[in-house]
Amino acid sequence: MVSGPLNGLKILDLTHIWAGPLAVRMLSDLGAEVVKVEAPYGRGPRELPSSPLGGWIGGAPGEDPWNNNAIFVKLARNRRSVSVDLKQAAGRDLFLGLVAQADVVMENFSVRAMPSLGLDFATLQAANPRIIYVTMPGFGISGPLKDRVAFGPTVEAMSGFTTVMGYGQDEPRNTAMALMDPVGATHAVAAVVTALQRREQTGRGSFVEMSLHEGGVAYNGPWLIDHQLGERITSIGNAHPVMSPHGVFSCAGEDAWLALACRDDADWQNLCSVVPGLDATSNLARRRADAPEIEKVINGWTVELDKFTATEFLQRAGVPAGPVSTTPDMAEDPQVQARGFFVPYERFATPMPGNPIKIDGLDPAEWTPCPGLGADNAEVLADWLGWSAEQTEAALAAGVLADKPPA
Amino acid sequence: MAVLKVLELGDYAAGYAGRLFAHQGADVVRVETPAREPAWASAAAMTLYLHANKRRVVDVSPVVMAQLAAQADVVICEGATASAVQATGFDEFTARAKVAVTPYGMTGPKRDWAATNNVLLAAGGYTFIMGDPDRAPLSLPGHYLDFQVGALAYAAAMAVLSGEDAPAGNTADIGKLETLMSMSQFTTVRYHCAGEIRTRHGSDYHFVTPSELFRCADGWVYVNIVATFWDAFALFLDRPEVLLDARFTTNDLRMENRDALHAIIAEALIDIPVAELGMRAAECRVPVGVVHTFDDVLGLEHLRTRGFWVRGRAAGQDVDVPGVPFRIDGVERPDLGVTSADREVPAW
Repeated sequence: MVSGPLNGLKILDLTHIWAGPLAVRMLSDLGAEVVKVEAPYGRGPRELPSSPLGGWIGGAPGEDPWNNNAIFVKLARNRRSVSVDLKQAAGRDLFLGLVAQADVVMENFSVRAMPSLGLDFATLQAANPRIIYVTMPGFGISGPLKDRVAFGPTVEAMSGFTTVMGYGQDEPRNTAMALMDPVGATHAVAAVVTALQRREQTGRGSFVEMSLHEGGVAYNGPWLIDHQLGERITSIGNAHPVMSPHGVFSCAGEDAWLALACRDDADWQNLCSVVPGLDATSNLARRRADAPEIEKVINGWTVELDKFTATEFLQRAGVPAGPVSTTPDMAEDPQVQARGFFVPYERFATPMPGNPIKIDGLDPAEWTPCPGLGADNAEVLADWLGWSAEQTEAALAAGVLADKPPA
Repeated sequence: MAVLKVLELGDYAAGYAGRLFAHQGADVVRVETPAREPAWASAAAMTLYLHANKRRVVDVSPVVMAQLAAQADVVICEGATASAVQATGFDEFTARAKVAVTPYGMTGPKRDWAATNNVLLAAGGYTFIMGDPDRAPLSLPGHYLDFQVGALAYAAAMAVLSGEDAPAGNTADIGKLETLMSMSQFTTVRYHCAGEIRTRHGSDYHFVTPSELFRCADGWVYVNIVATFWDAFALFLDRPEVLLDARFTTNDLRMENRDALHAIIAEALIDIPVAELGMRAAECRVPVGVVHTFDDVLGLEHLRTRGFWVRGRAAGQDVDVPGVPFRIDGVERPDLGVTSADREVPAW
């Protein structure tokens, strides 16, 4: 456990894939004590059929590939792992024992999953009236779409966001980066801290629901209001409805780009002091009317420079501008390095993204790497339930607990 | 919650944090200043969405600002730069929880760099991987970054309040650039662990095949078929023969034969209406999302029956506004009231 404002908070983490684990990571970075409760197959089988999307920690699957999936590892710092088969009565009872000691249970399964295990909210609440139960299904727990299968990219399509994302009205695009998962994650964190404060006042736990779809629709809120007011909202590529110029410009080098924007006339005049051939007296209306010609002039300047040099010239003049960063650019960004954002706490000193919430007293030097599957069975069950080593060994032998995927 | 006093300074991220506080019943006072970065929607829409159920004041002197900050439980202060945040007197504010929101953070060589959302999305690694491979990358329209940072600012302040006895300070520093970098799904680990730089592939998720937008009779659908859904997807397509096709038996093979598979899917879906595809997706239990227009979203029975929308008024019209996306104990979301900004400083 790391130092932070959430010290003393005990979370049982049943989440998987991205939205849920990202939310729990943020909470653990703030000092919550997290026990990841995982099915024996929770990290896949003993031999994975192909390389994972993010590769392997250390570059190779190793002898325990289920513990080395880099995406999983990235999201699972600062916690202990208990691997338990919740489909067995003994596993379910063990879990309810942990619930009795916990403050929060978080999951992002389908709405059917927990009830089918006999672990609905009423059951958890019977074990612990103060428990805060957070569920993050794709479409919420009620309504005609509640049983739809949902992943971030499909939820994005159903949120309305495709109306505005793309190269133009006839060329819609999906971001292809599961945008709704991190939206769900941040709001799940917001929900947990809200529920905690309610519990302080009422003494009771609560049922918290975070629908990925509603997170996505909420993100479109201002557009949805304008749409009802009669505005025609559509995709405008890299342009902006008010700012001009506003876009992405080609730089010297392969697939090298720079983004810039002029928020107002002051930014425009600053831009004109750097890029030759622009009219500093042009107002916003003229800039919008002349946007294609202006962009051509800017491109003529940027294409001769590498993206970092062009950025330096523009920033020195006070123009909002920055490189379109590749992954190495992100890692080598002087700002990111100065603030120590990527932290090499994981095995093989792999740099991992840090916590965007920096608070005095939080120190990434305390972070602990992702535990192996079931690596903390004995320790957690002793700490939380007072189990003996013999009890844990017996549960392992009976297949109620696991420390590796079944053969 | 007990009525928390929240002082809100700044633009859209601070506004979103204040929105979350206001929806939970806090007494939010927003000090209005002209936004440096123009919004993606009208002033009426932004005001209703972000500033309902708050009190708003204008022309606040530094002395009065300090008085408000001294009485507040929480101060959310967003600035265009770190120096802009410090110029408000932020360092001297004595609230129980303080959150500074800036583009690059309160420290570091770029702390005072000029930024807009599209610049930060570019520097934060989002833009490079969005759009078509043979064209300029695409930035993300709208206020995704502001709202995400606003949600984090709210969470940080609430965490600080809940942990006042914990060994941590009361001041949070949230940089928008780092927020983006913390929310990459596998971009950075793929580079650090596999040595590969993620690039853009249009709407195609690329590493999971098929994952792409497809045209249908009256719109578009997005399919995102991870391996466990392949069999069910063949039924969804009404093309069970693809299950026996040696080109498609694993995700790796489907990636190798992506064009051939996409052609089969395109042909299978092109004449089918979105409504039917939505029903098929439900019956076959596959991750397929029909592309909804804003009219579709506003008309969704699903969201109506869940009480998702709250009523508000903008530009003289009653409108539906998305509620806060999380719900605790099924509590109804509150209706929205917007008051005009006032010069009278509220009493706390």
